[in-house]
Amino acid sequence: MRVYQKVFKNPWSYMIGGGILALLNILLLAATGTPWRVTGGFFYWGIWLFETFGVMVNTDISGVYDGLGPSETLLFNTVSILNLSVILGAMLSALSSNEFKRRKIKNKKQLIVGISGGFLMGYGARISFGCNVGSVFSGIPSFSLHGWIFWIFLTIGAYIGAKILMKYLL
Amino acid sequence: MKEIYLDCMYEVCPIPLIKASKELKKMEIGDLLIMKTDHNCSITNVIEWVEKQKLKMDYVEIDEGEWEIYIEKT
Repeated sequence: MRVYQKVFKNPWSYMIGGGILALLNILLLAATGTPWRVTGGFFYWGIWLFETFGVMVNTDISGVYDGLGPSETLLFNTVSILNLSVILGAMLSALSSNEFKRRKIKNKKQLIVGISGGFLMGYGARISFGCNVGSVFSGIPSFSLHGWIFWIFLTIGAYIGAKILMKYLL
Repeated sequence: MKEIYLDCMYEVCPIPLIKASKELKKMEIGDLLIMKTDHNCSITNVIEWVEKQKLKMDYVEIDEGEWEIYIEKT
Protein backbone atom coordinates (compact mmCIF):
# COMPACT_ATOMS: atom_id res chain seq x y z
CA MET A 1 0.00 0.00 0.00
CA ARG A 2 2.84 2.39 0.87
CA VAL A 3 4.57 1.58 -2.41
CA TYR A 4 1.33 2.12 -4.34
CA GLN A 5 0.86 5.50 -2.65
CA LYS A 6 4.41 6.55 -3.46
CA VAL A 7 4.54 5.37 -7.07
CA PHE A 8 1.01 5.91 -8.36
CA LYS A 9 -0.87 8.26 -6.06
CA ASN A 10 1.49 10.97 -4.84
CA PRO A 11 2.96 13.36 -7.40
CA TRP A 12 6.63 12.83 -8.21
CA SER A 13 9.13 15.58 -7.47
CA TYR A 14 10.13 18.05 -10.20
CA MET A 15 13.69 16.64 -10.15
CA ILE A 16 12.57 13.06 -10.81
CA GLY A 17 10.00 14.11 -13.41
CA GLY A 18 12.47 16.37 -15.22
CA GLY A 19 15.17 13.69 -15.13
CA ILE A 20 12.88 11.06 -16.64
CA LEU A 21 11.72 13.49 -19.36
CA ALA A 22 15.34 14.30 -20.26
CA LEU A 23 16.28 10.62 -20.43
CA LEU A 24 13.27 9.77 -22.58
CA ASN A 25 14.02 12.67 -24.93
CA ILE A 26 17.59 11.39 -25.40
CA LEU A 27 16.27 7.89 -26.14
CA LEU A 28 13.72 9.32 -28.59
CA LEU A 29 16.40 11.31 -30.40
CA ALA A 30 18.63 8.22 -30.62
CA ALA A 31 15.79 6.04 -31.88
CA THR A 32 14.02 8.34 -34.35
CA GLY A 33 16.56 11.06 -35.12
CA THR A 34 14.22 13.83 -33.95
CA PRO A 35 13.68 15.14 -30.41
CA TRP A 36 10.24 15.49 -28.80
CA ARG A 37 7.84 17.97 -30.39
CA VAL A 38 4.10 18.38 -30.17
CA THR A 39 2.43 21.04 -32.30
CA GLY A 40 3.99 19.79 -35.55
CA GLY A 41 1.57 16.90 -35.30
CA PHE A 42 -1.43 19.23 -35.12
CA PHE A 43 0.02 21.16 -38.07
CA TYR A 44 0.02 17.97 -40.16
CA TRP A 45 -3.49 17.12 -39.01
CA GLY A 46 -4.64 20.64 -39.89
CA ILE A 47 -3.25 20.33 -43.40
CA TRP A 48 -4.91 16.92 -43.74
CA LEU A 49 -8.22 18.47 -42.70
CA PHE A 50 -7.86 21.32 -45.21
CA GLU A 51 -6.92 18.97 -48.04
CA THR A 52 -9.78 16.60 -47.23
CA PHE A 53 -12.23 19.46 -47.62
CA GLY A 54 -10.60 20.50 -50.87
CA VAL A 55 -8.56 23.50 -49.69
CA MET A 56 -5.10 23.27 -51.21
CA VAL A 57 -2.19 24.08 -48.92
CA ASN A 58 0.98 25.30 -50.58
CA THR A 59 3.27 22.64 -49.17
CA ASP A 60 6.25 23.78 -51.28
CA ILE A 61 6.51 27.10 -49.47
CA SER A 62 5.87 25.82 -45.96
CA GLY A 63 8.16 22.80 -46.43
CA VAL A 64 5.61 20.48 -44.89
CA TYR A 65 6.83 17.22 -46.34
CA ASP A 66 10.48 17.91 -45.43
CA GLY A 67 9.64 16.94 -41.88
CA LEU A 68 7.97 13.67 -42.82
CA GLY A 69 9.82 10.41 -43.43
CA PRO A 70 9.26 8.30 -46.56
CA SER A 71 6.65 6.02 -44.99
CA GLU A 72 4.92 8.76 -42.97
CA THR A 73 1.63 10.41 -43.88
CA LEU A 74 -0.07 13.59 -42.67
CA LEU A 75 -2.21 11.61 -40.25
CA PHE A 76 0.17 8.85 -39.27
CA ASN A 77 3.69 9.97 -38.40
CA THR A 78 6.15 10.05 -35.50
CA VAL A 79 4.73 13.26 -34.02
CA SER A 80 1.12 12.12 -34.13
CA ILE A 81 2.04 8.78 -32.52
CA LEU A 82 3.88 10.72 -29.80
CA ASN A 83 0.87 12.98 -29.23
CA LEU A 84 -1.54 10.05 -28.97
CA SER A 85 0.89 8.29 -26.62
CA VAL A 86 1.06 11.34 -24.35
CA ILE A 87 -2.74 11.25 -24.04
CA LEU A 88 -2.69 7.49 -23.44
CA GLY A 89 0.08 7.77 -20.83
CA ALA A 90 -1.67 10.61 -19.01
CA MET A 91 -4.86 8.56 -18.99
CA LEU A 92 -3.05 5.53 -17.55
CA SER A 93 -1.50 7.72 -14.88
CA ALA A 94 -4.90 9.19 -13.95
CA LEU A 95 -6.47 5.73 -13.87
CA SER A 96 -3.68 4.16 -11.79
CA SER A 97 -3.97 6.93 -9.19
CA ASN A 98 -7.77 6.54 -9.20
CA GLU A 99 -8.25 10.16 -10.28
CA PHE A 100 -9.72 9.67 -13.73
CA LYS A 101 -12.63 12.01 -14.21
CA ARG A 102 -14.49 13.69 -17.02
CA ARG A 103 -14.08 17.43 -16.72
CA LYS A 104 -16.97 19.68 -17.63
CA ILE A 105 -16.86 23.21 -18.97
CA LYS A 106 -17.54 25.59 -16.12
CA ASN A 107 -19.22 28.43 -17.98
CA LYS A 108 -19.38 30.33 -21.27
CA LYS A 109 -16.48 32.58 -20.31
CA GLN A 110 -14.17 29.61 -19.77
CA LEU A 111 -15.21 28.22 -23.17
CA ILE A 112 -14.59 31.49 -25.04
CA VAL A 113 -11.30 32.22 -23.27
CA GLY A 114 -10.20 28.62 -23.86
CA ILE A 115 -10.95 28.70 -27.58
CA SER A 116 -9.29 32.07 -28.14
CA GLY A 117 -6.27 31.07 -26.05
CA GLY A 118 -5.91 27.82 -27.95
CA PHE A 119 -6.16 29.63 -31.28
CA LEU A 120 -3.44 32.13 -30.31
CA MET A 121 -1.21 29.34 -29.00
CA GLY A 122 -1.63 27.30 -32.16
CA TYR A 123 -0.97 30.28 -34.43
CA GLY A 124 2.05 31.37 -32.38
CA ALA A 125 3.48 27.87 -32.26
CA ARG A 126 3.34 27.64 -36.06
CA ILE A 127 4.95 30.96 -36.91
CA SER A 128 7.73 30.29 -34.40
CA PHE A 129 8.34 26.68 -35.57
CA GLY A 130 7.27 24.97 -32.39
CA CYS A 131 5.80 25.15 -28.94
CA ASN A 132 7.53 25.15 -25.57
CA VAL A 133 8.33 21.47 -26.04
CA GLY A 134 9.81 21.66 -29.54
CA SER A 135 11.59 24.98 -29.02
CA VAL A 136 12.62 25.10 -25.36
CA PHE A 137 12.66 21.51 -24.17
CA SER A 138 14.13 20.08 -27.39
CA GLY A 139 15.58 23.19 -29.06
CA ILE A 140 17.89 24.36 -26.28
CA PRO A 141 19.54 20.94 -25.69
CA SER A 142 20.02 20.72 -29.49
CA PHE A 143 22.15 23.89 -29.26
CA SER A 144 19.67 25.88 -31.32
CA LEU A 145 19.75 29.62 -30.73
CA HIS A 146 16.06 29.89 -31.59
CA GLY A 147 15.21 27.98 -28.42
CA TRP A 148 16.77 30.68 -26.23
CA ILE A 149 15.07 33.52 -28.10
CA PHE A 150 11.77 31.62 -27.90
CA TRP A 151 12.30 31.15 -24.16
CA ILE A 152 12.94 34.86 -23.52
CA PHE A 153 9.79 35.92 -25.37
CA LEU A 154 7.79 33.10 -23.83
CA THR A 155 8.67 34.54 -20.41
CA ILE A 156 7.63 38.05 -21.46
CA GLY A 157 4.39 36.70 -22.92
CA ALA A 158 3.62 34.66 -19.81
CA TYR A 159 4.22 37.75 -17.65
CA ILE A 160 1.81 39.86 -19.72
CA GLY A 161 -0.65 36.95 -19.79
CA ALA A 162 -0.56 36.65 -16.01
CA LYS A 163 -1.22 40.40 -15.65
CA ILE A 164 -4.22 40.18 -18.00
CA LEU A 165 -5.50 37.12 -16.13
CA MET A 166 -5.25 38.83 -12.74
CA LYS A 167 -6.77 42.10 -13.92
CA TYR A 168 -9.55 41.16 -16.30
CA LEU A 169 -10.34 37.47 -16.11
CA LEU A 170 -10.62 36.75 -12.41
CA MET B 1 -15.20 32.37 12.75
CA LYS B 2 -16.66 32.28 9.28
CA GLU B 3 -16.51 29.55 6.67
CA ILE B 4 -15.96 30.70 3.12
CA TYR B 5 -16.64 28.31 0.27
CA LEU B 6 -14.67 28.66 -2.95
CA ASP B 7 -15.78 26.70 -6.02
CA CYS B 8 -12.76 25.90 -8.20
CA MET B 9 -14.24 22.93 -10.01
CA TYR B 10 -13.21 22.47 -13.65
CA GLU B 11 -10.59 25.19 -13.33
CA VAL B 12 -6.90 24.63 -14.00
CA CYS B 13 -3.64 26.09 -12.68
CA PRO B 14 -3.01 28.78 -11.67
CA ILE B 15 -6.62 29.98 -11.31
CA PRO B 16 -7.51 28.10 -8.07
CA LEU B 17 -4.35 29.42 -6.39
CA ILE B 18 -4.95 33.03 -7.47
CA LYS B 19 -8.60 32.82 -6.39
CA ALA B 20 -7.54 31.45 -2.99
CA SER B 21 -4.93 34.15 -2.41
CA LYS B 22 -7.43 36.88 -3.35
CA GLU B 23 -10.03 35.40 -1.03
CA LEU B 24 -7.59 35.01 1.86
CA LYS B 25 -6.71 38.70 1.70
CA LYS B 26 -10.36 39.61 2.32
CA MET B 27 -10.77 37.13 5.18
CA GLU B 28 -10.29 37.78 8.87
CA ILE B 29 -8.04 35.86 11.24
CA GLY B 30 -9.63 32.57 12.31
CA ASP B 31 -11.80 32.29 9.19
CA LEU B 32 -11.75 29.05 7.25
CA LEU B 33 -11.47 28.82 3.46
CA ILE B 34 -12.89 25.68 1.85
CA MET B 35 -11.79 25.12 -1.74
CA LYS B 36 -13.28 22.46 -3.94
CA THR B 37 -11.17 21.38 -6.91
CA ASP B 38 -10.84 18.54 -9.39
CA HIS B 39 -7.35 19.53 -10.53
CA ASN B 40 -4.59 17.53 -8.87
CA CYS B 41 -1.92 20.14 -9.73
CA SER B 42 -3.85 22.52 -7.48
CA ILE B 43 -3.25 20.20 -4.56
CA THR B 44 0.50 20.41 -5.19
CA ASN B 45 0.79 24.15 -5.79
CA VAL B 46 -1.74 25.26 -3.17
CA ILE B 47 0.02 23.16 -0.51
CA GLU B 48 3.40 24.58 -1.55
CA TRP B 49 2.08 28.13 -1.42
CA VAL B 50 0.21 27.70 1.88
CA GLU B 51 3.32 26.24 3.53
CA LYS B 52 5.34 29.25 2.39
CA GLN B 53 2.68 31.54 3.90
CA LYS B 54 2.85 29.51 7.13
CA LEU B 55 -0.91 28.97 7.25
CA LYS B 56 -2.71 25.95 8.68
CA MET B 57 -4.16 23.65 6.05
CA ASP B 58 -5.49 20.18 5.33
CA TYR B 59 -7.10 18.43 2.39
CA VAL B 60 -9.36 15.46 1.77
CA GLU B 61 -10.11 13.53 -1.40
CA ILE B 62 -13.89 13.60 -1.22
CA ASP B 63 -14.44 11.63 -4.43
CA GLU B 64 -12.29 10.08 -7.16
CA GLY B 65 -10.26 13.03 -8.48
CA GLU B 66 -12.12 15.61 -6.36
CA TRP B 67 -10.66 17.34 -3.36
CA GLU B 68 -11.57 19.81 -0.64
CA ILE B 69 -8.76 21.97 0.70
CA TYR B 70 -9.17 23.68 4.07
CA ILE B 71 -7.06 26.73 4.83
CA GLU B 72 -7.25 28.66 8.09
CA LYS B 73 -6.18 32.26 8.15
CA THR B 74 -3.83 32.78 11.06
